[in-house]
Amino acid sequence: MIWALVATPLLAGGALLLCGRRADRYAPRAGVAVAAAVLALAVAAAAVRPRARFRFLPGWDSGLAVDGLSAAMAVTVAAITLAVLLYAAAGREHERAGVRVGVGDNGGGGEGEVREARFFGLMLVFAGAMLVAVTATDLVLLLMGWEVMGAMSYALIGYWWADGGRVRAAGVAFLTTRAGDLGLYAAAGLAVAGTAVAGTGAAGAGAAGAADGGAGPGAGALLLGGLAGTGEPWRDLVAAGIVVAALGKSAQLPFSFWLSRAMAGPSPVSALLHSATMVAAGAYLLLRLRPLLDATGWAGPLVAWAGALTALLLGAVALAQTDLKQLLAASTCAQIGFMVLGAGTGAVAGGTAHLVAHAAVKSLLFLCAGAWLAVLGTKDLDGLRGAARRHPVVGVAFAAGALALAGLPPLSLWITKDSVLAAARDVSPALYVLGLAASVLSSAYAAKALLAVWRPAPEPAPEPAHKPEPEPGASSGERVGALRVLPLPVLAVAACALGVLGLPGVAGPWRRALGVPGEHGPDASELAVSGVLAAATLAAVVAFAGRRTAPIASAWAFGWLGLERAVDVVVVRPVFGAARVLAAFDDRVVHGCVRGVARAGPWAAGLAARRVEVRVDGLVAAVGRGARRLAVLARRPQTGQVHTYYAQAAVLLAALVLIAVLIG
Amino acid sequence: MNENPADLAPELCVLIAAVLGLVNGLFLPRARQWWVAGVCAAGLLAGLVVAGLAATRPDLAAFDAFAIDPITHVTRIAVLATTAAVIALAAATVRGHPRETEFYVLTMLSALGAITLGASSDLLVLVAAYLLASIPAYALAGFGKDAPGTEAALKYYLMGAFLGILMLAGATLLYGVGRGTAYGPLRDGLGTAPAAAVGAAVVALLAGLLFKAGAVPGHYWVPDVAEGAPPVVAAFATTVPKIGAFAALLRFGADALPPGTFDWAPLVAVVAAATMTLGNLAAFGQDNVRRLLAYSTVSQAGYLLVPVAMAARGDLAEPALLYYAAAYAVTNLGAFAVVVAVGRDDLDGYTGLLRASPLLGASLAVCLLGLVGTPPTAVFVGKVLMFGAALDGHYAWLAVLAAVNSVASVFYYLRWIVPTFGKPRPGLRPARAPTAIAVALAAASLALGLASGIALSL
Repeated sequence: MIWALVATPLLAGGALLLCGRRADRYAPRAGVAVAAAVLALAVAAAAVRPRARFRFLPGWDSGLAVDGLSAAMAVTVAAITLAVLLYAAAGREHERAGVRVGVGDNGGGGEGEVREARFFGLMLVFAGAMLVAVTATDLVLLLMGWEVMGAMSYALIGYWWADGGRVRAAGVAFLTTRAGDLGLYAAAGLAVAGTAVAGTGAAGAGAAGAADGGAGPGAGALLLGGLAGTGEPWRDLVAAGIVVAALGKSAQLPFSFWLSRAMAGPSPVSALLHSATMVAAGAYLLLRLRPLLDATGWAGPLVAWAGALTALLLGAVALAQTDLKQLLAASTCAQIGFMVLGAGTGAVAGGTAHLVAHAAVKSLLFLCAGAWLAVLGTKDLDGLRGAARRHPVVGVAFAAGALALAGLPPLSLWITKDSVLAAARDVSPALYVLGLAASVLSSAYAAKALLAVWRPAPEPAPEPAHKPEPEPGASSGERVGALRVLPLPVLAVAACALGVLGLPGVAGPWRRALGVPGEHGPDASELAVSGVLAAATLAAVVAFAGRRTAPIASAWAFGWLGLERAVDVVVVRPVFGAARVLAAFDDRVVHGCVRGVARAGPWAAGLAARRVEVRVDGLVAAVGRGARRLAVLARRPQTGQVHTYYAQAAVLLAALVLIAVLIG
Repeated sequence: MNENPADLAPELCVLIAAVLGLVNGLFLPRARQWWVAGVCAAGLLAGLVVAGLAATRPDLAAFDAFAIDPITHVTRIAVLATTAAVIALAAATVRGHPRETEFYVLTMLSALGAITLGASSDLLVLVAAYLLASIPAYALAGFGKDAPGTEAALKYYLMGAFLGILMLAGATLLYGVGRGTAYGPLRDGLGTAPAAAVGAAVVALLAGLLFKAGAVPGHYWVPDVAEGAPPVVAAFATTVPKIGAFAALLRFGADALPPGTFDWAPLVAVVAAATMTLGNLAAFGQDNVRRLLAYSTVSQAGYLLVPVAMAARGDLAEPALLYYAAAYAVTNLGAFAVVVAVGRDDLDGYTGLLRASPLLGASLAVCLLGLVGTPPTAVFVGKVLMFGAALDGHYAWLAVLAAVNSVASVFYYLRWIVPTFGKPRPGLRPARAPTAIAVALAAASLALGLASGIALSL
C-alpha cells in the first residue's frame, strides 16, 4: 500500500509530463482523479500504517513507513493537493479546447490559468516526492524526495518560463533552498562517516535502528530514528546540517526572502507548495528529528529561537506588505516559525497540529487570492477593495481563513498556536513573550488583509490603476467559476475546525498517535490571554483602519527585512567577486604561465638555433663529410682489375693469419 | 655408421629434378622448355616437403659427413624456398631463351651445393660442396654471353679459383695437424696442434667460405657480378649460396674447433666488422641499384658474421644466424625481384614507382626498410637476435658497431626509396610476373617478421 501511495502520483505525473501537449485535454480530469486516489490511499495508509523495508544502497537500510506524524503529513499533503488541483482544473472550463494558455503574454487568452498537462504533471510529481519525503525512514530516501521537491518547486515557480523575471525568481528560490539542502547532504555524509569512524557510534546507531525495526549495526546508521545515536562529534555536525536544511526549506530566518520571490509562480502553486506542504517539510523534519535535537542539547533552543524570531520579524514584514500574495507569503514564514518553535521546544503534537491546521488555512487564503487575481487582475491590497463583496462566497471563505489566521477563538490556529506557546513557556518565558508578540502581529496582518477585501469599494469601483505583478493574461470583471469555488468552503471548514486537534477530547489520541502522550496542552489562562489579544488586535486594526489606511510599516519590513539585499551583499557579491578574482588569476597567472611557456618555447628554440644548432649542425655536417670521404675510400679497392683483387685478398688474408696467430 | 640414403631425400629430390630437367631439356623443343622449370619446381617443392618432414625427426649424421640437425633443416628449407622463387623469377625472364634448360639445371645444382655446404660436417665434403655451389654459378654469371656478363663470370671464377685453392690448402693443413677431416675427430686432434698452424689453416679455410659468403676479403666479386650478370643470376648468386656458406661457417666454428686452443671469435669479429663497415661505406655513393644492392649484401654478410663469431659463445648464436640468414634471403631476393620487374639499373629509373605501381613500390619499400632492420619485418627480428648474440658473447663493441652501421645504412636505402614517391616518368612499366614474385617475397618478409614467435619456437 505504501508503494501505491508514493508511486501513484509519481508515475501519473511522470506520464503526464512525458505526454506533454497531447495530454492537455485530459490532464485536468486525470490530475484530479489521481489526486483523489492519492487522498484515499493516504487515508487508508493512515489507518493501516503500512511499512516497507528494503536496501536501496547495498549495506544501508532504507524504508518507507507511515507512523503517526507521517500519516498526518500524508493526509494533509494529499488533501491539499486534491483541493488545489480541483481549483486549477475548474478554471475556465469554456476555454479548455480553444485558447492556448497564455505564456507570459499579458494581453489575453488563458488569464493565468494552469490547465496544461505540464502543470498537473509537475504538481503530481511534487506531491509524490513530498509523500516520499514524509514517509521515508532514512536519510537517503528523504534526500531524494527533498531534491525532487526542490526541482519541482523551481519548475513551478518558473512555470511561465517566457517571462524572464519569473524564471529569475525561480532561480533565486531554488538556489537558496539548495544552499540549505547542502546541509542535508552533509548530514547524510557525516552520519555515514560517524558510523565508519566511531565503533561506538555504529553500535548506538545500530541499537536505535534495531528499535526502529532496523537490521544489524552499521546498516541502520542512515535511519532517521537512529541519527540521535550517532557518535559524539558527528552527532552535533549531523544535527547542524539538518537544522540548516530545515530552516532553508521552511524559509526561516535568514533564508526567508526566497519565499517572497516564489510568489512569482501561479497561485495554485503558492497554495500547495509555498504555504501548505513544501515549506512545511522543514518543520516536519525538525519535528521528526526531535530526539536528535534533544540529544545535542544546543540544537533545540537554537531552533526555537530561530522559529520565534522568524514568527515575530516576518509577522512585521507581513504587516508591511501592500500585496496580498506577499502578505500571505510573509505570514507563512511567520506561522511556520511557530511550528519550528514547537519543534525546538518539544511541542511535537502542538507543532504538528499547527502545521496541519495552517496548511488548510493558508492554502485556502492563497486560493482565494488566486481567484481574485484571476478575475480582477490584481493582488494589490488597494486594488482588491470590495472584492469580497463582489464575490461573496470567496469573500466569506477568505474571511474564515483570515480570522483563523488571526488566531481568533475558537478557530483552529488559536488552539494549535497556544499548544506551541505553552511548550515554549515551559522552556523560556522570553520565548513565550516573543511568541505572544508574534501572534499579535499575526492578528494584525490578518485583520489588514480582511479589511482590505471587505471594505466597500470607492465609488465608482476603481479600475486597478497599478498592476505591480499581474499574472499573465489576467482579465477583470468576471465571476469566479462555480466549480472553482467548490474547494473553498471545504477548506474553510477545515481551517476553522482543525482546532479540535488541540481540544482535550481529541488531543489525547492525537498525541498518542504522534508518540508523545506526555505532552500537555495550553491551560485556560494561556488560551484566554491569546484569545483576548487576538480579538483586541482585530478590533484595534478595524477601528484604526479608517484613520490610517497606509500600512504601519517601514521600508525595511516592506522589503522583507532587506534579507535578499543582505544575502546579495554578504554571499552573492563576495562569491562573484571571488570568481572574478579567480578568473583574473586564471587569466593573468595560469594562462600567463601557459602563454609564457609557449613564448619560451620559440625563444629557446631560437637560442638553440643560433648557438647550439650551429655546432650540432656543424658536427653532423662533419660526420657526413667524413662518411662521404670514407665512402669514396671504401670504393677505391674495387678497381675492377682482378690482379689488384688478388693482391688485396692475399694481403688481407695474410693480415688475418697474423691476427689468428697472435691471438692463438 | 648411418648410410641410409633416405636421410638425404631433399638433396636427392633436387638432384633428380636437375638430372630429369637436363635430360628432358635435351629433347624438348625450345618453345616448350618451360617444362623443365616445372620439373625443377616440382623437385624443389618435393624437397621442401621432405625437408619439412625431416625437421620433425631427431638429429643424426648420415655417412659420417652429413649432419642432419636444425642448421641443416633451416638451410634446406631456406635454400629450397629461395631457389623456387629464383626459378619462378627466371621462368618469367628467360622464357624462350636458347639455353633455358641450362639455366634451371645450373641453378638447381648450385642450390644443391649450397645445401651440402651447410650440411657437411667433413672438410672434404665441404670442399666438394664449395665446388658444386660455385662452378654452376660461374657459368650462370656468364649466361648472357655479353661483355659485362663475361667479365663478371671471369672475375667470379678467378676469385673463386684463387680462394678455393686457399681453402683446399687450409683443409689439407687442418688434416695434417688435426689428423682428420670430419669435424668430430678434428676437434679432438686440433686440441694438441700448434696454434700458429691451426690459425693459418683456419684463415685459409675461411678464405673459401668467405668468398661464398661475400664477406671481406672474398667480397670483390659481389659488385661486379651483381652488375654484370643477368639480374636473376645476380639475385641468385648474392642470396642462395650465402645461406649455405654461413651455415657452414657456423657449423665449423661451433663443431670443428676445440675450445681453448684457438680463439675463433675475435678473428671472425674482425672480419665481420670490416665487412659491414666496408659494405655500407661503399654503398653510399652508388647510383647503380644492382651495385648498391651488392654492397648492401656485403654489409648484411658482416651482420651475419656476428653470430658466426659467437658460434661457441652462448645459445643465441645459432637461432640468430639461422633466422637472420633466412630473413635476409627472402628480403634480398625481394629487392632483386623488384629490380628484375622494373628492369632499370639506375636510381633515376625508380622515380615515381610508388605511383606507377603501388604494390611494387610498397614491396621495394618493405624490402629495403627490412634490410635496414625496421620492425615488423623479418630482418628486424634477426638483427635483434644478432645483437643479443653479440651481447651474450660479451662482444658489445661489435653490437655497437653493427648498430651504427645499421643507422648509416638507412642513408643509401632511403636514397633509393625517396625517389619512388616522386612523379612517375613515362615508360615505367614493371613486368607483371616478377612484380607478383616481388610482392609475394615482401609479404613473406613481413609475415616472417610478424610470426617470428612461431617461427623461432619451431
